[in-house]
Amino acid sequence: MRQRRFAWSRSPSRSNRLDPLYLDDKIWKAEQQQKRRLSTNIKSFIKSEPAIVLYLTLWSFYIRLWKIWQPGSVVFDEVHFGGFASKYINTGFFMDVHPPLAKMLIALVAKLAGFDGAFDFKEIGLDYEDANVPYVAIRTFCAVLGALTIPMAYLTMKKTGHSTMSGLLVALMICYENGLITNNRLILLDPILLFFTSATTLTWVNFCDKDKNYKPFNLQWYFWLAMTGLNMGLTASCKWVGLFTIATIGLPTIKRLWDIWGNTDISKLKFMHHFFARSLCLIVLPIAVYMAMFVIHFHSLPNTGEGDSFMSPEFQQSLAGSNSHMSDTPLDIAYGSRVWVRHEGTRGGYLHSHPHEYLTGSGQQQITLYPHKDDNNWWIIEKPRNARRRRPDGPGGIEYVRDGDRIRLVHALSSKRLRSHDEQPPLANDEYHKEVSAHNDEDSRNDRESDWIVDIVAHNENDVDSKYRLRAIHSRFRLRHSTQRCALFSHEKKLPEDWGFGQQEVTCMQNSKLPKTIWYIEANQHSRLGKDVEMVNYNHPNFLAKFLELNKIMWDVNKGLTASHPYDSRPQAWPFLQRGISFWGKDGRHIYLLGNPAVFWSSTFAVVGYILVAFLTVLMEKRGIFDLYNESAARFFITGWCAHYFPFYLMSRQLFLHHYMPALYYAVLLFGSMFDLITIWLTSRKKMMLVIMASYCVIYAYRNFIPITYGEPWSQISCENAKWTRTWDFDCVQ
Amino acid sequence: MENLKRRHITPDVHQQPSPPVYEQYNPATLIDHNYGDEKNKFAKPLPPQQRVVYSSNKYIAFCQKYHRALIPAGLTLLAFWTRFRQIGLSNIVVWDEAHFGKFGSHYLKNEFYFDVHPPLGKMLVGLSGWLSGYNGSFAFESGHKYPEDVNYTGMRIFNAFWGALLVPLAYLTARQFKMSQRASILAATMVLLDTAYLCISRFILLDSMLMFFTCLSLYCMTVFNNCKNEPFSENWWLWLGMTGFSLGCVLSVKWVGLFVIALVGLNTIEDLWEMLGDVQMPKKTYAAHWLARAVCLICIPTLVYLFSFAMHFLVLYRSGPGDAQMSSLFQARLAGNSFERNPLDLAYGSKLTIKNYGYGGGLLHSHVQTFPEGSKQQQVTCYHYKDDNNHWIIRPPRVIGNPQDYEPENGNVRFVKDGDVIRLIHPPTGRNLHSHPIAAPITSGQWEVSAYGNETVGDIQDNWKVEIVDDLVYKDKERVRSLTTRFRLRHTQLNCLLSANNVVLPQWGFKQIEVTCDKRNRENDPHTWWNVEEHYNDNLPPAPKNAYKSKFLHDFWHLNVAMWTSNNALIPDPDKEDILSSTPSEWPLASVGLRMCGWGDDIIKYYLLGNPAVWWPAFASLLVFLASAGFYLARMQRKIHDLSNAQWDHFLYVGKTLFLGWFLHYIPFCIMGRVTYLHHYFPALYFSILMVPFLLEHWTAKMSNRTQWIVFGIAYVSVIAVFIYFAPVAYGMSGPISNYKGRRWLKSWNLVDK
Repeated sequence: MRQRRFAWSRSPSRSNRLDPLYLDDKIWKAEQQQKRRLSTNIKSFIKSEPAIVLYLTLWSFYIRLWKIWQPGSVVFDEVHFGGFASKYINTGFFMDVHPPLAKMLIALVAKLAGFDGAFDFKEIGLDYEDANVPYVAIRTFCAVLGALTIPMAYLTMKKTGHSTMSGLLVALMICYENGLITNNRLILLDPILLFFTSATTLTWVNFCDKDKNYKPFNLQWYFWLAMTGLNMGLTASCKWVGLFTIATIGLPTIKRLWDIWGNTDISKLKFMHHFFARSLCLIVLPIAVYMAMFVIHFHSLPNTGEGDSFMSPEFQQSLAGSNSHMSDTPLDIAYGSRVWVRHEGTRGGYLHSHPHEYLTGSGQQQITLYPHKDDNNWWIIEKPRNARRRRPDGPGGIEYVRDGDRIRLVHALSSKRLRSHDEQPPLANDEYHKEVSAHNDEDSRNDRESDWIVDIVAHNENDVDSKYRLRAIHSRFRLRHSTQRCALFSHEKKLPEDWGFGQQEVTCMQNSKLPKTIWYIEANQHSRLGKDVEMVNYNHPNFLAKFLELNKIMWDVNKGLTASHPYDSRPQAWPFLQRGISFWGKDGRHIYLLGNPAVFWSSTFAVVGYILVAFLTVLMEKRGIFDLYNESAARFFITGWCAHYFPFYLMSRQLFLHHYMPALYYAVLLFGSMFDLITIWLTSRKKMMLVIMASYCVIYAYRNFIPITYGEPWSQISCENAKWTRTWDFDCVQ
Repeated sequence: MENLKRRHITPDVHQQPSPPVYEQYNPATLIDHNYGDEKNKFAKPLPPQQRVVYSSNKYIAFCQKYHRALIPAGLTLLAFWTRFRQIGLSNIVVWDEAHFGKFGSHYLKNEFYFDVHPPLGKMLVGLSGWLSGYNGSFAFESGHKYPEDVNYTGMRIFNAFWGALLVPLAYLTARQFKMSQRASILAATMVLLDTAYLCISRFILLDSMLMFFTCLSLYCMTVFNNCKNEPFSENWWLWLGMTGFSLGCVLSVKWVGLFVIALVGLNTIEDLWEMLGDVQMPKKTYAAHWLARAVCLICIPTLVYLFSFAMHFLVLYRSGPGDAQMSSLFQARLAGNSFERNPLDLAYGSKLTIKNYGYGGGLLHSHVQTFPEGSKQQQVTCYHYKDDNNHWIIRPPRVIGNPQDYEPENGNVRFVKDGDVIRLIHPPTGRNLHSHPIAAPITSGQWEVSAYGNETVGDIQDNWKVEIVDDLVYKDKERVRSLTTRFRLRHTQLNCLLSANNVVLPQWGFKQIEVTCDKRNRENDPHTWWNVEEHYNDNLPPAPKNAYKSKFLHDFWHLNVAMWTSNNALIPDPDKEDILSSTPSEWPLASVGLRMCGWGDDIIKYYLLGNPAVWWPAFASLLVFLASAGFYLARMQRKIHDLSNAQWDHFLYVGKTLFLGWFLHYIPFCIMGRVTYLHHYFPALYFSILMVPFLLEHWTAKMSNRTQWIVFGIAYVSVIAVFIYFAPVAYGMSGPISNYKGRRWLKSWNLVDK
């Protein structure tokens, strides 16, 4: 615009040299013409595509950001994700089931907004304003990302060849979706995840557009392909739900490759080009992005923190200032060594005893696993009195502990011996578990019940000696009991808090499988070993080892999240919006995550409708009637919906309504597609009327639930009236 | 559609008058004459019609003439010989004979027992005992010696009979899949000489019957598929019906039968789907196809399954060890049970025992021991065994309404009605069933239930309201009847429901079941339902005859739920090493064996181990099939046709059926949480065995006859040789096991101790 006006203002000066009158007229005419052009330019801009996108963006900013400062206290999972931001700022290692990208973005924004990490987001309802937390900035960041899905949805619809009307309808439905609004306005991972999901969708449909006519491998083609891969990687780096997005892209890719393979006009070489281009951009690139996020993650959290205990000792060793940081320890172990015996099968820690007795079984002194460094972890390896003597085989006249040796473990502080006998342990109640205790009453000469046989089951490949005799860290061994035919065992069952201090139970198990009976020695002292002995320590894991370990633990912890939550729900409840989640409540105001029923129900209706139409199409094709309905965009959307919905049925962990949000996004897109299908016979005017009516319904439903969406005050009567179904359990108490 | 028509036509090509042509059938001759594609290099013209020429030697001529009967008969005889040989060598109870022999005895003694498997197989075991003159008196304890009067050889022969029939079935099925004689006999030989099949068939187990019916189902299905071009003919109906009957039998032996039902189901759906594409077929005919399949493949199996349970209930009319798994009403029916004498209607002052209706529910129980925490009042639990501490007496409630309302009416009794508020007294201790707002000991979200006070001491928290759910026999819900009425007990003060959710109390509660007052108000949860089991009231007459008649379908359903629940409860401890069980991943490559009895030197030892020359090629053939199908598909997508349409259809049909059969019988075990054993793989193995000759033939079709003979010869020789070497593991190894240590080909076989 500005460019044109400039040209226009310059033009009279050039023509002034000619006849003034004529020129005046001409100038006037030109002026008029320019004015007209300007106004048509503005007019055409107002109606143009970019303008629509701009309006939608601005409007959704308004809807998302309205009273963003409200409520001024911690809401729902802000407890976690706000908390992680402060942990990033404090650089202490922590464990979470989600990949790091979204949390790092939140932390970055918090840092830029001046958050010092002092606030710990401990529980719902804690006040932000008193603690000076820049929560508005963080929420704005999330809300902006969430709002950007709306123009992207519109663009996706347009790019897949749908009408402007259905594009607008889809955008409005997403804009006025109360659940998305609630979820996007808060410090949560979902807005970021949704942003990348919809970005992936948009870049993918752009790529499909370029790929449509078999004119591949130009710059644009590669650009969109790579962008799709990049976005896929970013989505998966926010939450593992992103894997479903990857499946959504992967399935059509396989289909497309199969079609290309079937096109005999395309040479095999060219097919290979197609194949490798896609593998590179859609497999290698996302993996690289995902791993890069973990590089940044490890780099940001160099210090020890509350996540240590989830990790292996090797991993902990790589953290600075770790409490469990090990200094080097002598490699050789001999009779008389003072040792720390660590359990390998669980993260329970060290074999431990303390001057407290079991309340069950024998009533002798307890044996537990204790995760921290403690003097009660020290054990002394002794030879049973009646055992065969060997010639000292180590320096300074010491005798090494060899594979198959019979030993005794004496608790250093209480001088009691580790033993097992035919008693039921406190927790494990199968008859093949025997109690393990510390005791020294009997005549130690005949006390066969405190003899243990060392079986080395694994060793460090670079240290052959560690296979034949016990060496710190390098030898992994079992302790077999001499009379009970059982092996020293521990599992993740905690003794009662009141007498067992919540420490992990240790038993002796008969016929046990290997993993949970494996132990090793972590620290070792011997008075007769000199200073110049060979020392050992944990290997420093490289990035790949750390990355794999962390991901495995995330997977295990995620699978273990099976405890029930008062507001959890199963997938079958989501499409019909049977129940929401109570996010926050204070002084008679409430935030309750509840979708816009008009959007939920109509999108579910669209899914059912599509399935019916598709089924009918297949049926008709079988009967020889072809091309009834074949909409590739709708097929893509339903793939997205299925891929983001059905896998949840296989998960036994606790699930919430907000897990449906990505699927809902695809369902709404599908609704737009179905809308175009039904209204194909209507004139554009009638179609517009229909869109206005539909939008009215959506907005009406939206307005109904404004109070629980934004945490506004509400009268009890209108609150009760808003309970359209019996299963919505938001709190109406004022 | 084109394909479909062609498949209809293909059999015509081979309906030649001369049998020898049929014998020369091999995939390469499966040529489609409609398909005139020049590219098809491999299609050979059909050999000219041959006249049947029999040999001049009359014996050979006889064999040529009757080979259709002679070959299966010969195979059957061989199977009998291998199966029955030395069958009584071990005179002790081997492996699961301990279970199934015992169940067979229960049928002979007519005592009700409970087991996770449906009854048909075990009834057949019972039948075998009856046939061999066994009276059911032996306890079948594992490893014990059979007494003189138990004809265990006869029982084993009966079982081995079913296992032997697999061999001719394998041959016939292969023939139905249009394999050549050479290939079909190879299939039968592999089944015949598999040491694992041999071993499992020779004992009193259900597996041989299960295998037989599974294989019979596959055979019937293939015959039926070959009748496709003459729908609704006599043959067509016969084989469809036979398929359904045989499916019903598999399911009635073990629930594994569901997998072969799934296979037949998928085959049927595909069939119907293909027919839908035939636009010339009248809609009526199409509907008739649907109906015929619904009747034969759904109704017949269901009826067979129901019938097996009806027989089960009919034969087992005496009270036995399985009573407690069934509803109280069912137990009343069993001879030797006292419930039949129960007075019908409950009255105030009645003494009774109350059973939880949820699966595995026990009897409401209390004893003098107190809770160690919470209220520290007397414990109330659920207990599974008969005991005087299970008794309760119905009393009027505390301070509610008019005491006269609880005076006896019309004579000397007052009956308990729906909605009555009552109090339950525990006669041995005199305390009242009580609940209060104190968290229950384990399920801390619910209220504790205790026994408190006595006849005079107490409060309104002793009051419970009777809410009748329904009555299993009588229509009205007016009075509470013993055995038949299901009711809830609602605490009047706390408005919670008395419930027992199978949560086990720790040692202080003697590992009995926790009883709580459930505030979630789950009225439809059977764990909050109760019924009266024993009922004593001197003022009431015993119930009239047939007052406690339970409905068959109800008992049937109850028993199936109980079987399902206890089947799912067979979950192994993940930390415990069990040398008998194995994981599905160990099966296909035969990397695990199973010691079926003690391993001492003086015992005849049996080791359940597959013949490697059978198992390894069988698994490889599955992978080869996938690879070949992928290869053909990729080439076809690229418009390169190696096979004619008919050849491809046939290849896909056979391969798909066998692969799916294997897949459906194998993959579910990977998902199951319950403990799995090697013999669970046997049905799956059968499908993969048939795949071997099929693929051998498919890939050698283009080779010379001589090469073909060499390939098949190698297969035959290796199967036979390896079998002879491994035969002792199935026929019984006597003497020290170290004599056999050379046979430990894989380190993972625990044939000898490490």
